[in-house]
Amino acid sequence: MASSAAIHVAVIGAGIVGAAAAHFLAAAGARVTLLDASGPAAGATGASDGAVSVASKRPGPMMDLARHARAFYVRCERDGLFRGLFHRRSTFLVARTAVEAELVARHGADLAAAGERVVEVDRATLLARIPGLGASVCAALEIPDDGHALGYEITQRLLGRSRIAIRRNAPAAEIVMRAGRAAGVAIGDELVAADAVLVAAGIGSAPLLGLGEILIPRKGQMAVTDRASPSGPAIDGHLMAASYLAAKRGIAREDGHIGLVIDPLMTGQFLIGGSREDHRSDHATDARTIAAILREALDLYPPLAHRRVLRSFAGVRTASRDGLPIVGAHPRREGIVIATGFEGDGICLGPFMGACAARLLLGEAPAVDLKALSPQRFLRVEAHA
Amino acid sequence: MSGHFFWSGMPVAFLPGETIAAALLRAGIADLGRPDGHLPGGRVFCGIGACQGCVVAVEDAAPVESCLTPAQEGLRLGPLPATGAGHD
Amino acid sequence: MTEAPILIVGGGPAGASAAATLAEAGLPVLLVEQRDQLGGAIHRQPANGAGNHVWRPARHRRNWAALTARLRACAGMIEIRTQTVFLGVDGEGRFLFDDRRAGRVFASRPRAAIVAVGAVETIRPFPGWELPGVMTAGGAQVLLKETGRPPEGPILIAGSGPLLPALAAQLARAGNPPVAVLERGRPWRRPATLARLALAGGPMGEAAAYAAALALARVPYRGGAVVTRAEPDGAGLTVGMRIGADERVLRVRHLLIHDGIEPNRVGIPLPAPEAAVPVLLAGDGREALGADAALLDGRRAALQLLARLGAGAAELAGLESRLERARRVQAALAQALRSEPVEPAPETLICRCEGRSYADLQALDGDASAREIRLMGRFGLGACQGRFCGPMIAALRGRPVPAASPPRWPLRPVSVAALARLSTDETE
Repeated sequence: MASSAAIHVAVIGAGIVGAAAAHFLAAAGARVTLLDASGPAAGATGASDGAVSVASKRPGPMMDLARHARAFYVRCERDGLFRGLFHRRSTFLVARTAVEAELVARHGADLAAAGERVVEVDRATLLARIPGLGASVCAALEIPDDGHALGYEITQRLLGRSRIAIRRNAPAAEIVMRAGRAAGVAIGDELVAADAVLVAAGIGSAPLLGLGEILIPRKGQMAVTDRASPSGPAIDGHLMAASYLAAKRGIAREDGHIGLVIDPLMTGQFLIGGSREDHRSDHATDARTIAAILREALDLYPPLAHRRVLRSFAGVRTASRDGLPIVGAHPRREGIVIATGFEGDGICLGPFMGACAARLLLGEAPAVDLKALSPQRFLRVEAHA
Repeated sequence: MSGHFFWSGMPVAFLPGETIAAALLRAGIADLGRPDGHLPGGRVFCGIGACQGCVVAVEDAAPVESCLTPAQEGLRLGPLPATGAGHD
Repeated sequence: MTEAPILIVGGGPAGASAAATLAEAGLPVLLVEQRDQLGGAIHRQPANGAGNHVWRPARHRRNWAALTARLRACAGMIEIRTQTVFLGVDGEGRFLFDDRRAGRVFASRPRAAIVAVGAVETIRPFPGWELPGVMTAGGAQVLLKETGRPPEGPILIAGSGPLLPALAAQLARAGNPPVAVLERGRPWRRPATLARLALAGGPMGEAAAYAAALALARVPYRGGAVVTRAEPDGAGLTVGMRIGADERVLRVRHLLIHDGIEPNRVGIPLPAPEAAVPVLLAGDGREALGADAALLDGRRAALQLLARLGAGAAELAGLESRLERARRVQAALAQALRSEPVEPAPETLICRCEGRSYADLQALDGDASAREIRLMGRFGLGACQGRFCGPMIAALRGRPVPAASPPRWPLRPVSVAALARLSTDETE
């Protein structure tokens, strides 16, 4: 790739997307400067569950992209990049009422139509797989090809392998344009010159690109428990309540909604989430919300009564107005590529999207068609408005 | 003697008002860990609930700091981590 | 509607002193204490049925008797909740408590709060400090007070500070003198600072009494002596040590370590005396000056709060000057016992909860943030939430580990079931 050897890219944001883009750019011979307002994985990447899950995705382009993104994890695990960090595990979509069962069945049909393996599990089988499951669980689907990875571990690996130096505490003030083209990034009084700029700064992308009307912060509160097993996941799969699906499919949208997931971590701990609080970008957690999440979790999986909460924390997802990520070249400003708006799907999509963004920056076509995610779509909406 | 609780199935005597930690140490039980864990096992250390080194599993309940918790008749206790039920 | 109480967290000398002072001024007080009785580590009483009392200066007993009498005299104004663990303040300003007896977390919105949660002991880690049989000197002293009986078998005390000879003397009086006391510092080589300590009003009489007890029990007290490692040895430990230039090995049953105390501040809400709900710190949790000063400091915090609430206050200046004297004694002591920091061996555990070593810490980038130390290094991510490894990491890196922002709750691990049963005093 001699043609790209000279290109110097400034990547804004050292989350999982920015780290992946930086890694694959460096691997292709580009010079990379990675900037972060704080440090690696300081945003949503370091405050999320570890679901590399197709099961939860909205039907349509997200479901298809998630399948590509998960396959990318599998490839990276196989070729050594993600070795030891990505693990296959099932997702169980569980229903506790007849209405929820109907929703789960409909979602299962959509998954199957997208080519996903979907296994219907009756209550007895599920109890054998996950002893102690709540009495209210009446129906479940198993998505056996899903996986697990922790965003901050993937980020650390990507940065470590490519030996990219990261500039911490370097908040980008603006993207400097010269002759209609990106010329670098201003950090305070300093200009970091670059031939191209990738904006992968989560909610921090909004002020840089004037996307305040398009990007919405959505806070999620979570809790982590102590270990239920000395090592390895304490239960044989990721539990996803139908309430989470409902939120993802856009059925329930009110503020403060809880989309329940119980994520068994490799350490033997549980990560339990989470709230969905629109227009909240703070990281505070409150006892009423955490208690409500725990009540839901205890109903779904009563053995959690034997655990202790070690900490509560909040992450801020960056959602776009139409619910799809924004990935592609800036429609008006040459030399800028955008990759943000992954909402709660950044861990699943991040490495693949970072690799796609790297190809766009190198002037190559990404591995899949990303038209549905193009920033162009918001221009069109505004033109017609 | 006021009563007994069980450590890994073995009865341990305690005096009224005594903490679980005090009773375990008096019985010569200093190692509160599983022998096969890759993490260091439990042991009473700071005595004020801060270090969490002395946390023990309680049957049908969440684990507790043995240095803070008064011993109670019939409690079934064991090393961490345990699922909270059925550990011997 | 009843008046919202002043919350006092911690029933040790500082908290109890603050509670009595506020209640005497006519303000309702909610006093929460994690143990089943008030008194803190210093005044831990024997459990029912346990016999002999542990030897200690008579003034501590007198001070505590006087304070409990004051609490009794205004019992109507003070609600005491024992076996209740403070969990911190949530993002919406609720003060959270784990009522261990009821198995339920409750939230309250007090009028003001005084946090008096005492100190935690500092330790300087060495390979093997994580083993069963190794305990802090303070932890062992609390157990001695509760049970009235010393641990059985040979005991070694090591580290630094006045607690080492005090505990050694108490163990000797209780019937099992330690085999030796190893003091990291070399107080005898600093006669000038010892003299300054005496002039500053240091508790020399107390020190002399401990020294006499140690001499009587033939307990050697060695300066410039440190433990280098401990290894499991049957039911006991083999302890390696360096005394001056000599390396020695000793077999003991118990190794009691301690390198001073520092305020218990991890995750504690920062004092905000001007906030709508003022928060003040008191006692060793504000500044580690010991039990006598904690009594004064609890009173001082209460008087400051009364002044803030418009209830007037005098005698603050007098309290300040007595606290300043305690500060001078502590500074002189620290000077007398000062020793150079020693880098631990790479395999030394730093974060015991997650099994992370000094080598793991060094593998992190030099400019790694607090968050990276936690997430990437797994330091302080375990059950103690950095309460023990945080100060060690700060000491080893030569700079403090910035606190999480916003402050994290729960401060202590809390039962999932208890938190799910949250009750609040809000009308909802």
